[in-house]
This record gives sequence, C-alpha cells and structure tokens, in this order.
Amino acid sequence: MSVMKTTRDVKGVGLSIPRPDGPDKVTGRVQYVADITPRGLLHAKLLRSPHAHARIKRIDLSKARALPGVRAVLSAADIPELKRKAPTRAHAILAIDRVVFAGQPVAAVAADELAIAEEACDLIEVEYEVLPASVDPLKSMQPGAPPVADVGTEADTSEALAHSAVAMAKGETPTKAVNVSQTSTVKRGDVAKGFAESDVIIENTYRVPMVHQGYLEPHAVLAEWDRSGNLTLWASTQGSFNTRSEVADVLGIEDNRIKVIPVECGGGFGGKIRALCEPITAILARATARPVRYVMTRREELEAGMPAPQVIIRLKTGAKKDGTLMALDAETILETGAFSGTVLAVSAVFLGSLYRWPAFEIKGSEVLTHKPSVAAYRAPAAPQSIFAIDSQMDAMARALKLDPVEFRARHLSNPGEPMVNNQPWASMGASEVLKVAGEHRVWTERAKWKEGAAKGTLRGVGISLGGWLGGLQPTGATVKLNPDGTLAVLTGQVDIAGTNIALAQIAASAYGIDIDKVKITTGDTDVAPVTGLSAGSKTIYTVGVAVMQAAQAARKQTFEIAASELEASVDDLELVDGKVVVRGVPNKGVTLQSIGKKGNLYMSKVEPVLGASHPAFSQQAPAFAAQIARIEIDPDTGEVTLKDFVIVQDVGKAINPLAVEGQMQGGAVQSLGIALTEGLIYDDLGRLTNPSLLDYRKLTAADLPNLETVIVEVPAPAGPFGARGVGEPPIIPAPAAIANAVADATGHRLTHLPLTPERIALALAGNGGAR
Amino acid sequence: MPKQILSFNVNGDKVDVLVPPYLTLLDALRDEVELTGPKEGCGTGDCGACTVHLDGKPVASCLVLALQARGRSVRTIEGLGTSTTLHPLQDAFVRHGVPQCGFCIPGVLMAAAALLEEHPAPSQEQIRYGIAGNLCRCTGYTKMVAAIEEAAGMMKQGGSAR
Repeated sequence: MSVMKTTRDVKGVGLSIPRPDGPDKVTGRVQYVADITPRGLLHAKLLRSPHAHARIKRIDLSKARALPGVRAVLSAADIPELKRKAPTRAHAILAIDRVVFAGQPVAAVAADELAIAEEACDLIEVEYEVLPASVDPLKSMQPGAPPVADVGTEADTSEALAHSAVAMAKGETPTKAVNVSQTSTVKRGDVAKGFAESDVIIENTYRVPMVHQGYLEPHAVLAEWDRSGNLTLWASTQGSFNTRSEVADVLGIEDNRIKVIPVECGGGFGGKIRALCEPITAILARATARPVRYVMTRREELEAGMPAPQVIIRLKTGAKKDGTLMALDAETILETGAFSGTVLAVSAVFLGSLYRWPAFEIKGSEVLTHKPSVAAYRAPAAPQSIFAIDSQMDAMARALKLDPVEFRARHLSNPGEPMVNNQPWASMGASEVLKVAGEHRVWTERAKWKEGAAKGTLRGVGISLGGWLGGLQPTGATVKLNPDGTLAVLTGQVDIAGTNIALAQIAASAYGIDIDKVKITTGDTDVAPVTGLSAGSKTIYTVGVAVMQAAQAARKQTFEIAASELEASVDDLELVDGKVVVRGVPNKGVTLQSIGKKGNLYMSKVEPVLGASHPAFSQQAPAFAAQIARIEIDPDTGEVTLKDFVIVQDVGKAINPLAVEGQMQGGAVQSLGIALTEGLIYDDLGRLTNPSLLDYRKLTAADLPNLETVIVEVPAPAGPFGARGVGEPPIIPAPAAIANAVADATGHRLTHLPLTPERIALALAGNGGAR
Repeated sequence: MPKQILSFNVNGDKVDVLVPPYLTLLDALRDEVELTGPKEGCGTGDCGACTVHLDGKPVASCLVLALQARGRSVRTIEGLGTSTTLHPLQDAFVRHGVPQCGFCIPGVLMAAAALLEEHPAPSQEQIRYGIAGNLCRCTGYTKMVAAIEEAAGMMKQGGSAR
C-alpha cells in the first residue's frame, strides 16, 4: 500500500503522544457501564448452579416473585427464545433442565435495588439431581465419560476465524468419545524415519491451566427497550457490531433493532468479545419495560466468565548431533469447558510452523468438560503453544550443548516458507527480533551475572521467542473536513488499547495536518461504519488502513476544490500549515478553513469534504516478540524473583511509541502471570477453589522489576505506514522464558504452569536440593 | 432495614445522605454522593480500585460500611487536584501514558497520594510496595512507577502534595 507523501512533516505518525482521554481517566470522570444510572434503573442478578453437572428437577420462583421491590423473576420456561443444543454460550441464556458447569445461570431477577435482587435469588428454590461430572479433560475425552453437550451440538470455530484467519481442514471426530468436539491433524514427511535417524530425542508433556483474562472491570451491560421494540445496549465490549449480531441472533430480531453503544471498556483481553450477560439483561429489560443493568461480581467472573482453555501438549522432538532438526510429533488437547469454541488450528500452526521440521505430525483435540466455556485471551493458544515448543527447543539446545539463540535462529522459518497448513509465512521480523534479543546485554552477560549470585541463591537467565499471525477483518472509516478546517475521524472501533490516538495520528499524517487539529470518535452501531473486533492485534493494521485511505480521499477532495479555486493543477498543489498552496508560490493559496466553510454554506456549490474507506484484507502481518528473564531462586522455598526482564518486539512501525511500550509492558506482565502465579484450580467435583483475587494470584507492582522495552521495526508491506499489530506478541514468550531460566538455574525442566514455589521446591528436592 | 443519616465530609464538602446500614462506603459514594470515580473491581478488598482516603489514610472503600464514615473525612479521586488543575500525580500519569483502560487508575492514584504523604521521597521499592494493593491488568506497572517517582520529585520542589 503506497503512503501518500505529506507536503511537510506534520505532527502525526511516530510521535509519543499521550492519549487524549488521559485527563478524564486520572480524575475519575470517564464513565464505565456501572457508572451509568438512568431514571427507573433496575438491577439484575443471576442465580447460578452450585453443581458442575446436574439435572434440574424443580424450580419454584413464587417466593422470589412475592418479595417487594422485585420486578421480574425468570427461569428457562419464561424465555421463548431458548433453544436446546445451544451452539454458543450466549444462546444458553438460562439452563433448561440440565446444568453443565458450576456457575451456569439458572434463574434471573430484576429488582429496584441490588440487595433486593440478591435476596430474591436466595428465595428461589431449585431441586437438583447431581450427576457425575467430567472435570479432567484427559478423562473427559475417554469413551463413557459423562457427556457435556446435548447430542448433535455443532462445534464453534468462529473464534479461530475472527482471531487469526487460520483455515484448516476439520478432522473426523471420533464417534464414541462424546466430549471430543473438534479434532484436527496436520502432517508432512516421514516422522518415524525422522526419529529413527535422530541422535537426540526429547519428549515432554506441557500443561497450562485455565487462566482468566483478569480485566479489572467485570462484565457489565445496561439494556433498555423503546416502545417500538428497539433495544439499546450500553456495553463493555471489544466489538459493538459483534455484540449486536450475537444478541440479535439469540433474541431472533434484526440487527437494525439493536443499537450497541460501546461504553469505555475497562479491559477485555479477549474476554469481552463474545456475548455473555447481554441477552439475559435484554430479556429482563423487556420483561419489566425498564432499563436494567447487570454487573458481574468478581466471583462470578472467575467462576463463570470465559477464561482461556487449559492446554495440554505432548511434544516429541528429534535432532541430529549437529543440531539438524529431524522430526516433531505433537498431540494437543484444548479444554474448552462446557461449550465448543477454542482455536485448535492456531495451536498447531505455532507448534509446527515457527521452526522448520522436515517431518511432523500434529494432532489436536478440543475436549468438552463441565467447566465454564472458554474464550479468547490475548493471542489465544499462542502463549501455551509457544511455552511448549520453545521450552522444547531450549531443552534440545541444552542436550546438544548448542547456543540456544543460534539453535533457534538456525531453524527459524523464513517469510515465504510454508506453515503447517501450507500457507506461506508472510513478511515478518522474527529473525531480526531474535538477533536483537540475542545481542542484548542481559543475554550476552548471563554467565557473568550468574557468577554474582549470593551464596545459597540460584541464578538463571532464559530467553524465548514467540509470535502472532495477525488478525484480519473488514472495517471502515470516514474523515470529514469541518467548517473551521479541523478534521473529524469516525470509526466504529472500540478503543481498548489506546488505538484511537494512533488512528488520529495516522489521519493527521495521511491528510497532512497536525494531530491537534484531528478529533476521532468511536460511534455506536447506528452511526458508525461496520467494523470488526478490537482483538487479534488488528485494530491499527486494518482500521489504520481504513483511516489512512479515508484521510487520503479527503485530502484529494480538498485539493480538487483548491485547484478549482486557484485555477491550478492538483499536481502543483501542496498543503502547508493548514493552507493549500501552489508549490513555490506560498502566498497563493486557500485555507482549509475556507474550504471547510464553503462545504457548509447556504447555496454553496462546493461539495463538503468527506473521505470514506471500507477495506477488506487478505494479507496478514505476523508480529514477533522475544523476552529475556533474569531470575533468582531461593532453593529453600522455591520462590522465583524476577530481577530483570527485557521485551524485544517487531511492531513494523511504532505509530505511537508511548502506547506501543504500554502494550509491550502490559502484555508481558500477563505473560509472566501465566508463567508464575495464575491458574483456575478446580476440585474433583468441578468447583472452582480460588474464586477471588486473593487466591487467584495476579502479579502486583511489588512482584516485578521495571520492564525494558526494545522496539524493532520491520515494516509490514500492507500495514499503515508499515505498522504491525502490537497487542498479542508480548503475552506469548514469558512462560517459556521463565521455564528456560529455571532450567538454567536449577537444571530442572519444569513443564507444568504456573511455576509456583511449590513446584520448583519439589523439583529441587527430587534432585536432593543440589544444583 | 430503615435508612440512617450519614453526615460526613467528602472532598471538603459537608454531605448528608440516607443509607441503609448494610451499605458500603463505596456504594454510598457512588450511588448516594454520585462520585463514581472509585470503582468496584472485586468487592472483597483484593484489587484496590475502590481506594479512597478516610481521615487521610487509604482504605478499600468496599470493605468499609458507609456508617463507619460518620463524622469523618473522605477524599476520593474527584478530590485529588482541583476542578481546573491536575494534582502532580495525575499530571505525571497523563504525560507518562499510564492510563490504558483506566479502571484501576483512580485507586492507584489514591494509594500513590497516600504513599507520598507518608514518604515524600520514596524509593522505587517503596513505590512498588505502596501500590502493591492495587491490581492493574493493562500497564505492567513500569510507567506507573516512573510517573509516581517523577511526581514525587516535582512535589518536593513545588511544595506539599495538596
């Protein structure tokens, strides 16, 4: 995509400009859904199942309905839209006669006050017949395991398509293992021969538990119907058009009947893509003819949100003594919870495509269990898959006594080479990222740093490389010239990561005007162009192109108007300081203000300037990050202290370096959380044992050092100004970087996350506590 | 349950509201005083998003009953800085690009303000422990620590935190 030259250096792309909503965010003025209180507001509460798997024998709502202040109490029988064989979690608004995970909604209440709604829930009588539950995915995939889905329910692969545009043939689902909802197999070459000719073969099974996205603002929605049957949803969502379509589908009404207003989203990270509590809130609002607000509690989030899947990966790899890779045999199990919806294909692509394996076979299964169904979490399946393959590469390098960075660099796939699904790798900067990381002093000075360990302390340094293919989704934007010569950008894209300031910078540079003259608005679904999710590291990559093209179109229109006024050729014009002038004749010109004004004058024949673009995309821009960790381990307690952490990332072009650094650091801490502390822990009956932020341990400021960021820029051919997606890569490498550092410090290869003090201490004890 | 009168001082103003005895200070501030800056991220005192100052000390307002604030002084994020001027901490947070989703920010700022009142020139470690009760999922804390460090320096030059 060609970048239109601007006539001088405007303040736009490449500058670290703080986001314009900063002052409102630091003063508490920004409103989230829970802060919006219309007149007549009712509060919603859901009664949830305490059992992972049970038959509902009887529900009695009468006492709850009789409580003063209660406006509606609903069970499945009251909701005509409800269907059996719900294809998605959103369709399963309330359990019909069987609950399939602990925390599944069984009844819904709307009341004048939240305390009344809570009391009403206590008054609902539900009689359950508890059934055996499938809790462990390895047991759940066996024939004869307690079934999760109703027979005939379709697998849901929409998440994979939305996120990374990875297409892969579906495998055949075994008929007897009722809880295996998707399978896939990819293979190339002769794997058995590859292992037969290998000098070193390493086999490990990696396990990463379910983790929660951890956004600070719980799911929240406010719903209100008008008397004509139109629904307005104030939603905390990563994609207002997706929310609209999902809710319309569940309710069986047209998209046009629903207006989704994307309210400031207090974090999503993939967890606020799919509809969750929107349909039931809309139904309560319809039943009461009042505005109804539902805000999930943190306990509900942890027990019944949409976490990342548990991922179990068995890897067997073989290599020659000289380091030549020979074969990869992999088996992946993604635990999807009670509803299908994992990104099975993404996992296979990362396991088999990052390095060149002459022979590979990768089998994948998506397995249903009686747990909350999963959703995306920033680079879905990538941190888990990269944890496995990068740990394995590190173990191979150690076994072969080869330099870990050189070993990876030697086998890294190049652009144009086939991925496991035979799609060629697009232009990418993986090797540049690895090179920069390998030359960083935290890596090169590792031997010296380890020598400085205090007596009784173990030190280790680990490195890891991971990446993301980059999502694609059609989008749109308009850019208009205001009567005062300022520029207004409109998209429907939810700004969850500081993307609006970067999009405004793109508009400024593409049009040729300073950023302080550009305003950007995220419109609701009634007014904004249709657009995709704010997910998959694709907002800047795709919406940035739409904004750039719309700004270029607006510039062209502006120049055509000026050319006619100045009786000059468009090719002879340039834009300088808000004035279109004939090149070389700076005093002969027409201001943007006058062009804007003429487009809005009564009886004017000058058309208003309105640039529009609505592109679709086919070329992905993979983006890679490498991370380096220096750790100290207390051998008595097994506790890891992170001493230094470096993030090296290819961002194509840093449109706003300040925002880019924020993404790199924030993603890295989520990655470190997966590595060190996080995991949803279930008992044998499928009940969550750590449903609070005290027990579900996220990293705090006191757990961390300052995180160093190193930006690498390998331009993406189709990206706006060369930009690539930035959000996902930093959450990918840390689990392997930490595990590799632990191996470096202790000699133990730990393969189950999180790397808790207990796991490390046990590993050390197994080795007599010695190094 | 019958409501009771809660008279207290909020951000320098005398406030009287009627609250039921089970209401938390957080809900009283948000729903009755209409100050929605303090956020509920967990309701169990684990995330810090609801941090306000009660008689100058930081508290998780979701763990304090509203009536416990009777006759006392509460300061929320809306009372940090003035209606026209940002507090040095707020200003530093904006310039350092700290806020992303922004949901944790009011609580972090109140924790940081309390820290600086106790330790006007904190070390990085003191800053990190000072905001360790505040979870943030977007920023990775690095820019937050730098902003607090810089604000501390500016306040030392320019005088008191208030």
